[in-house]
Amino acid sequence: MVTPPWRINEILDRAETGPVCLEKDFDLKILVPELRRVIKDYDIQFDPLTPVPSDNSLADSMWNAAMDLYLEVGTLCTDTHRRIIFTEDEIKEALGNFPGKFTFGYGCDSREITNRQIEDTKRPFCMLSPDITCDEDLFVPMSMAYLQEPLADGVCAPILDEIEGMPIRSGYPTEVKGSVAHAMMFREAARRVGRPGIFLKSVGTAESDAAQIAASNPEWGERLTDGRFVASVTELKINNSLLNKMVHFHTYGCFVGALTGPILGGYTGGAEGTAIVGIAYHIQGLLVNQAHFQNYFPFHLKHTCNTTRELLWVISTTYQALARNSNLISTSNGFTAAGPCTPMVLKEAAAHSLVSVVSGGNLWEIAVAKNKHKNYATPMEARMAVEVGCGAAKEKYSREDVNEIILNLLKMYEDKIPDAPLGKNFRECYDIRKCKPSTEYMNLYKNSKKELIDYGVPFIY
Amino acid sequence: MTLESLFEALKRSVEEFKLEEAKNITKELLKAKVDPLKVINDVLGPTMEEVGEKFDKMEIFLPELMGAAEVMKETTAILTTHLKESAIEHPKPKGKVILGTVHGDIHEIGKDIVKIMLEVSGFEVFDLGRDVPSIQFIERAEEVGADIIALSALMTTTMGSQKEVIELLEALGKRENFIVIIGGAPTSETWQKEIGADGWTETAGGAGKLATKLIEGKVK
Ligand code: B12
Repeated sequence: MVTPPWRINEILDRAETGPVCLEKDFDLKILVPELRRVIKDYDIQFDPLTPVPSDNSLADSMWNAAMDLYLEVGTLCTDTHRRIIFTEDEIKEALGNFPGKFTFGYGCDSREITNRQIEDTKRPFCMLSPDITCDEDLFVPMSMAYLQEPLADGVCAPILDEIEGMPIRSGYPTEVKGSVAHAMMFREAARRVGRPGIFLKSVGTAESDAAQIAASNPEWGERLTDGRFVASVTELKINNSLLNKMVHFHTYGCFVGALTGPILGGYTGGAEGTAIVGIAYHIQGLLVNQAHFQNYFPFHLKHTCNTTRELLWVISTTYQALARNSNLISTSNGFTAAGPCTPMVLKEAAAHSLVSVVSGGNLWEIAVAKNKHKNYATPMEARMAVEVGCGAAKEKYSREDVNEIILNLLKMYEDKIPDAPLGKNFRECYDIRKCKPSTEYMNLYKNSKKELIDYGVPFIY
Repeated sequence: MTLESLFEALKRSVEEFKLEEAKNITKELLKAKVDPLKVINDVLGPTMEEVGEKFDKMEIFLPELMGAAEVMKETTAILTTHLKESAIEHPKPKGKVILGTVHGDIHEIGKDIVKIMLEVSGFEVFDLGRDVPSIQFIERAEEVGADIIALSALMTTTMGSQKEVIELLEALGKRENFIVIIGGAPTSETWQKEIGADGWTETAGGAGKLATKLIEGKVK
């Protein structure tokens, strides 16, 4: 048996028969104390001077802490108020049957995605994504701009919040309409750039289960070779709508990704707890979300980014723990504080991908400008991240090398995070008809690349 | 123990969210006939303010903030019960707030923080959770006799539900009965004005002050 799915009916059953638990008790009486316990028992400590640790025993302790935590806590289904709990043997069964590789996309655009080792020289799988909403008229040009990036193995489209002049409302018919349009236009954009079979992750516009299901169609919509998300509810929780998506995606037969982002400063507390919950989420993602891959975006409660010192440590230790103890596949989703066309965003993008790749992650790049400004994202930030990430693998960078570089990069942007520059939006950075970046941005990119090379940052070319 | 050291111990038990310890100290203070209002105003209030500042600087995190708020709530309850018994005029909650994340939206960490900030500012908060149907905000607000309806929305596709709640209130002829405040990353002061809400703040930190200002304005 190859997982996923791992025993779908077991999950559906446990979500209705597991031990009853109120949400507040789950958060504060189960998760928080258990997390504090494992941090202490396994002696996990964040070291601000080593955002990229080279300590294998730390990685293993964190994996063990996460296993211990997840066995005790499990996942809460917030609709049924029941905990879905597993035995160690079940987790081992699911992990033991995970193949560690899949082929995403079809035809000559298909690509293999695999798990990666620490300091692996294998090129990371590169997902490119704006991770943000856009104006309706920008949807196709923005999608095409990302789809034509040479290093893209797969692309996720921007999100629509209006369709044919109507605002899209979550759970309303406009959402179904917008989600179907999203799937159709994205597919068409892929063909127009000459990559009809490229792996598409869709449809971000569909917030509800109904709208997701409406977009599944091998002819014009989401295909079996595409990927879809089953998110989680913060932290370690799920609900019926998300489980509806899980069942639908598996019975339809497409690839499933688990979307999880533990929040530093929230219930998981500091860096240690955030990383341990992040690792536990990967176990949950395999057994509950039943995912082929995970998209992982731990982030900062106040700054909605993950390029801070603590979060780079969280990302690094999560991936090291996964690489040494499983063959799970995970893309590391960058979140920067600065926006497009600023020197800062390019440094943050480089830092995120360097840390992710050397620690054993694949890439999902990149949400910018604190992920909350419509039309603020361009393929240039993603390009920087993947050129650097692929460079780190090719040039055989070690964790020590990367740690040193990161300490220097942090010096340049760390204190600017709270008031990071917003930069410019897609319209201001791109010629929309030609889907080409502005000369200003190209020059900034060139200069930043030069500067980064001086700091020892690797590039694929 | 001197009064000063009892105050100090109470402050510490809130900061370290040790509920039993806080309850015991509070009882001791009452036995020593200390004015409960003095404890609330001089110890609990300023301590919670400090805790809030620490959270803002990320020196402590959400569980610590929630823990401290819980201890503060419980000890305040003991003190106010005592005030009631002794028939001294006791501080009522500033007002009742119905809070939730709007229909279609499951993002709720921001809302959870807003809840604490409103509570430590002296409001009684009824948290309806996430993905709350618009009409439910109104029904619950009437049930509990709320003064304020607070709506969180994290997506541009759910901001419309904030507007919907206000439209429903207007259509039902109940708009004047409630103060409506809104928040969440995609919202803004412009949006607040556009939909006719009474207040907006960018962060949870400002929510307590905003609600206090609005409710004082209404009372006058
Ligand atoms: C964490 C997160 C998630 C988590 C949510 C976990 C949870 N249970 O809360 C998960 C992974 C589940 C998730 C799921 C989804 N998400 Co999401 N998510 C985010 C993210 C990255 C951060 C939100 C957050 O927690 N911030 C931290 C808190 C502390 O900040 P805050 O909520 O803004 O609150 C502060 C203030 O706003 C204020 N405040 C908040 N409420 C109120 C209320 C009042 C009255 C007041 C006064 C103040 C106030 O006080 C708070 C503290 O200062 C945002 C991006 C962003 N920058 O906001 C995307 C984002 C909101 N998500 C998005 C999307 C698309 C989704 C999904 C649809 C993805 C998918 N396809 O499955 C689903 C949504 C399903 C649904 N129906 O809701 C989009 C929304 C796009 C849009 N249309 O606007 C965003 C903007 C990301 C993006 N740019 O693409 N997400």
